[in-house]
Amino acid sequence: MNTLTDRYLAATLRSVPTQRRDEIASELRASIEDMVEDRTGGGQDATAAEREVLTELGNPDLLAARYADRRLQLIGPTYYLVWLRLLKLLLSFIPALVGTIVAIVDVADGKGFGAIGPAIVVAMQVAVQIAFWLTLTFALIDRSQTTAGLPEWTVDQLPDVPAHRGVSLADTIASVAMLVLTIGYLPFQHYQSWVHETDGRNIPILDPALWSFWLPALMVVLLATAVFEIVKYRIGHWSWRLFGVKALLSLAFSLPLTWLALSDRLLNPALGDRLSWLADGDNRNTLGAAIAVGTAVILVWDLIDTSTKTRRRTA
Amino acid sequence: MVSEDVLRTHLQELRRGTVVVASLVALRRPDYGYALLQRLSDHGFPVDANTLYPLLRRLEDQGLLTSEWNTEESRPRKFYRTSDEGESMLNRLLDDLAAVQTSITGLIQGVDR
Repeated sequence: MNTLTDRYLAATLRSVPTQRRDEIASELRASIEDMVEDRTGGGQDATAAEREVLTELGNPDLLAARYADRRLQLIGPTYYLVWLRLLKLLLSFIPALVGTIVAIVDVADGKGFGAIGPAIVVAMQVAVQIAFWLTLTFALIDRSQTTAGLPEWTVDQLPDVPAHRGVSLADTIASVAMLVLTIGYLPFQHYQSWVHETDGRNIPILDPALWSFWLPALMVVLLATAVFEIVKYRIGHWSWRLFGVKALLSLAFSLPLTWLALSDRLLNPALGDRLSWLADGDNRNTLGAAIAVGTAVILVWDLIDTSTKTRRRTA
Repeated sequence: MVSEDVLRTHLQELRRGTVVVASLVALRRPDYGYALLQRLSDHGFPVDANTLYPLLRRLEDQGLLTSEWNTEESRPRKFYRTSDEGESMLNRLLDDLAAVQTSITGLIQGVDR
């Protein structure tokens, strides 16, 4: 007894509730035989008729789901929107937060820039974990019979029409975070760089002589830029006045940096003792020129980008 | 030109509820699954077997149909019949179907005028 019908019945009954299995089996078998008989009565070959009937009944899992009145979806419409909102909310900050913490801890351990890789991996793992457990929870809630008392939607929940069209919150946060990290890096590199004396003492990357004026000045400019970003977000859109301030701040940072790089005053001369490549004057000049050009390119690009945004806004 | 897919979806939506009504009417005279399928289809209610068989069980669970095994014929068959409860629900459904028809007719005439 291993006909197609037997196999079809077995496949269907596998996933219907046990207490009704026998009855469904007898009824379904009789129905299939009725259908086959009807076709062979019309002169059709019995095997072909059986195939045709079972094909018509379709995927046994689907049929079983209909018998068991089971839902064929992970999360139904009742909970889908809540699930989606919660997922977006959690993914919007937790992975980044955990990743940042990991990076900070690793940097504090003295791993330097190597800390970025592990931090990204951890952030991605956290994101996958959040998505999995949240979805599992909602799938279980969706399958439990009781309807959880979801708060009804009211008009009061309507969000304000976004006023910050030109300046997004994400961009602002990213900019401020970058600025704060840069501000923090300047004193950090003085105590912790990847270059050490033979006795293990740290060699700062930037010339310590710059602390008398230029480095504090650059930190003030960066801080002012961070404040500017926040003010810009509050205003919500670019204007030519903001563009002017932005250009001034960019120049206030880029010009001294370029000038220091070109006059070979940026890097710590002591680095040459440990890195023979830097001991050579020509190499130092090349590096200085590269830093100067890089800074200039970023400056020009930033100004073009900002002026485009401003023109689009004021047009 | 309306696409065939769109048409099929709308027809399906329109027909969905009528299968229950048709089955409850047809089963005022007791019958088994496949015979009912053929009767419905002869009267212009083509239903898929994999929809009708589970539906009959569901209606039975809801108390709208009663069932009885008949072992006298060549093979044992489960005969369904519309219960008293099913009959009273059927009357409500038929009233509603008539109301829908009346409303549609009224709307068509109202628009035509």
